[in-house]
Amino acid sequence: MAISRSTYGTRRLAIVLFACLLVALFLLPSQSQRLLQYVGGPLGQILSLPLAAFSSVDHGISETWNAYLALQSVHEENRQLHRDIELLKGQNNQLRESVAATQRYETLLNFKQQSPSQTLAAQVIGRDATNWYGGMILNKGESDGVRVEMGVVTPAGVVGRIVKTNSTSSVVLLVTDPNNAIAGVVQRTRDEGIVEGTSHGRARLKYIPLLSRVQAGDRVVTSGLTGIFPRGLAIGGLTQVEKSEGDLFQSAEIEPEVDLSKLDEVLIITAPYEDADSAQKLLQEIRGDRKKP
Amino acid sequence: MKFFLYLLLALVVVPFQTTLLHYFSIFGVRPDLGLVAACLVGFLGGELDGLILGLLLGCFQDMLSAGDLWINVVTKGGGGFLAGLAGRHMAHITPAVLTAGLVIISCLSSAVFLYSMNPAGIDEIWMSLRSTVLVQAGFDALVGAGLYLLFRQRWSDDRMVTEGVL
Repeated sequence: MAISRSTYGTRRLAIVLFACLLVALFLLPSQSQRLLQYVGGPLGQILSLPLAAFSSVDHGISETWNAYLALQSVHEENRQLHRDIELLKGQNNQLRESVAATQRYETLLNFKQQSPSQTLAAQVIGRDATNWYGGMILNKGESDGVRVEMGVVTPAGVVGRIVKTNSTSSVVLLVTDPNNAIAGVVQRTRDEGIVEGTSHGRARLKYIPLLSRVQAGDRVVTSGLTGIFPRGLAIGGLTQVEKSEGDLFQSAEIEPEVDLSKLDEVLIITAPYEDADSAQKLLQEIRGDRKKP
Repeated sequence: MKFFLYLLLALVVVPFQTTLLHYFSIFGVRPDLGLVAACLVGFLGGELDGLILGLLLGCFQDMLSAGDLWINVVTKGGGGFLAGLAGRHMAHITPAVLTAGLVIISCLSSAVFLYSMNPAGIDEIWMSLRSTVLVQAGFDALVGAGLYLLFRQRWSDDRMVTEGVL
């Protein structure tokens, strides 16, 4: 009933092209992905403008919302005070918001100075375009030196790794996504394993040796062996250890250290170790650890 | 001209989806506005329009998603095309028919996502079905039907122009 204005030939051509695209995607997946990545470059530039506009609206809404909630609590506490004092309280609250933001930036800066890695600060401007992946969009892209497979952290711990970039933005796959895998080590027992995300929005340490004495409450940190993250960054704490009869390994559920639902700023690790000396020193430390009984 | 309109629509829908739509999420699940838009245009404008808009939306969504680069292109393009085919064979499009169509297409789209993620077992599939697939399908249908009711007058005029009545 719905009659399209397009001619039959055009429609047929479009359908044939779509079918060709489907065939190409299934037969030559890596080549087609490269082609789509190539096509996506200029499209990313176009997309960055509305993305930045919507992101600023988002930040405006969240700032207003936070200020409103805080004002409610101030109002509760100071119901008896005069109107001008309430006004001053409101202004004070706005200043507090600024101080809180400054403190967050200061913490990031301190962490950046102490960290042996070269890092780049970035702002979270959006969430994954689908419900199926734990992803976040950052406002730094290839033009800022961001590349795929770079690690993303906060002072609290590991956030995830970059999986897609365009010139002005990049996409982070969070540590809680089932498609993510990071080499981790239990801080107390030094048992290594692989940290993978789960469908419950948590993470799981897999392939822990069967004889290991890991227990709930142990902290898991990055092992530094995969090259994305330097050694010793917090991933999370073990909440539950599972050891099934007949299994070759144990596994344990991890509560991530970082609250991934409330991220505003992050650091992208552009180089895990600042210079060759640091890397060499770390290698010696690792070898030293391995020799210990 | 129509292509540029669709491009403009895609440039508004995708950034809105990634930045502001989390305020409207239910159980952490947001409606897939890209799929809803492609299906609505497909239902009411024909399979070619649905396909073109779906491909554009999918391309942009893939750039802002952690998944593979093909998955949104295929699901949104396919969704728009399927909706167009369904719309072509219907005498009257009512909100109820549209809702049912959107539920089916949303579930099919989710099935492709689920397949691409290689779920570990039946438990994981069942959990995804309960926590994401059904919630998203319901949400998509609700948003689609709402948008249809909101713009029904405009679209019915378009259909009459297409059919040579006006």
